[in-house]
Amino acid sequence: MPTQCRRRCESCAAMSDRLRVAHYLNQFFAGLGGEEAANTPPQVSAEPLGAGRALVALLGDEGLVVSTFVCGDDFFNEQAEEAHEAVRGWLEDTRPDLVVAGPAFAAGRYGVACSHVCRIAEELGQIAVTGLHPENPGRLVYVRAYAVPAPRTAVGMKDTLEAMVRLGRRLGQGAELGPAELDGYLPRSVRRPGYRDKPGAERAVEMLVAKLSGWPFRTEMPVEGYDVVVPAPPVADPAQVRIGLVTSGAIVPKGNPDRLRRASESRWSRYPIAGLQTLSPDDYECVHGGFFNLIACENPNLVLPLDAVRALEREGAIGSVADFYCCTTGNDQRLADCARNGREIASALAEAGVEAVILVAT
Amino acid sequence: MDPESQAQIKAVADRFEGDDLVVVLGAADPEALEVAGETVTSGDPAYVGPLAGVSLRLPVVHILEHEVKEQVDPQVYAEQVGLLELALDADAVQTAMRKLRGNE
Repeated sequence: MPTQCRRRCESCAAMSDRLRVAHYLNQFFAGLGGEEAANTPPQVSAEPLGAGRALVALLGDEGLVVSTFVCGDDFFNEQAEEAHEAVRGWLEDTRPDLVVAGPAFAAGRYGVACSHVCRIAEELGQIAVTGLHPENPGRLVYVRAYAVPAPRTAVGMKDTLEAMVRLGRRLGQGAELGPAELDGYLPRSVRRPGYRDKPGAERAVEMLVAKLSGWPFRTEMPVEGYDVVVPAPPVADPAQVRIGLVTSGAIVPKGNPDRLRRASESRWSRYPIAGLQTLSPDDYECVHGGFFNLIACENPNLVLPLDAVRALEREGAIGSVADFYCCTTGNDQRLADCARNGREIASALAEAGVEAVILVAT
Repeated sequence: MDPESQAQIKAVADRFEGDDLVVVLGAADPEALEVAGETVTSGDPAYVGPLAGVSLRLPVVHILEHEVKEQVDPQVYAEQVGLLELALDADAVQTAMRKLRGNE
């Protein structure tokens, strides 16, 4: 692997055979703190920090962590432009043999940051690897990143770092990688033309026979499985509970302030409805792209039934209505994002004292 | 596990070195159990706290395990753990603990 150093000093010359690694960490894994430190602005350390010590131990005599870049997760995601420029400057200055980002495991904001670091490194012609849980939303940011599959938590730190360094070394040596599942990285949505031993029709029939016979087989087109969700028990007395309104029908304030997408959304939004009796088409609209939404734009209450729920509230049929509603675009949303959004929405509603939810799909 | 908790556990382990010590966990989430168990046996897997690289090898049990429950005054247990016991999936916790100890 080529070694570059701006300053050809003696110490650098002595290190010339060792892999020069630049390490990206968030505030937690750098040891600066948890959420209270999530706004930490970018900073660079010449010394390995936090999880970097595991990386140093792993590299042994074969490499060294020459620089560590730390940024709080909130800062990276909320002041993205500034963070990206800081990462770019750091990498241009450091010029490492290998960029190690994370691993981020299942941590969403950290995963997004690590994917951006890999993207920026590759734009600069540098080799970068990260470690992500297969459902980490960071994978959506830059699917071409070389990411080794990681477990959900840091319990897998050592194994994940080992796999990252191994993959990084191979990339650095210019080795031609095989398919993702064979060479230990997450699929990068890259299709390469090639020959199989048997034509597709023959392989398909063999798979069908295996499936019908109950034998093991391996699909060539993996499809995400669906969870079985057990319904919550019925509400004993709706007149006593606080109701929350949720829709995957993308009803948003006019102008779509959060730029909710018409399809393939990964986020959700919340908007206030305290004191509001109905959703006027002058103030709200539907941005869902999966159905003919003109009627929903003319009367948003058809998708988010605030008018009907207020009537029930006045009648005393339900206790009260939460002061905000939650929405996303369900159209073509990845299952992993659906599950995460569901958890986050449920958490926000529970925090607001909501005991039952009316969830309107389209 | 946060660095403050790690520091407290390390201080206790240092103070009572050689004595019989056991860590009683109370977390409900199997992932949190796994991290806590790893931290007090092999060391902090995240490498952010005082137990990074420190293998205390402390035995780990969970407050919902039958053997632990039997050691506690039933009235105290009902007061302190009763609600938790109702709310948590005790079988899942026991399975997670068996797995955790199997990895020690």
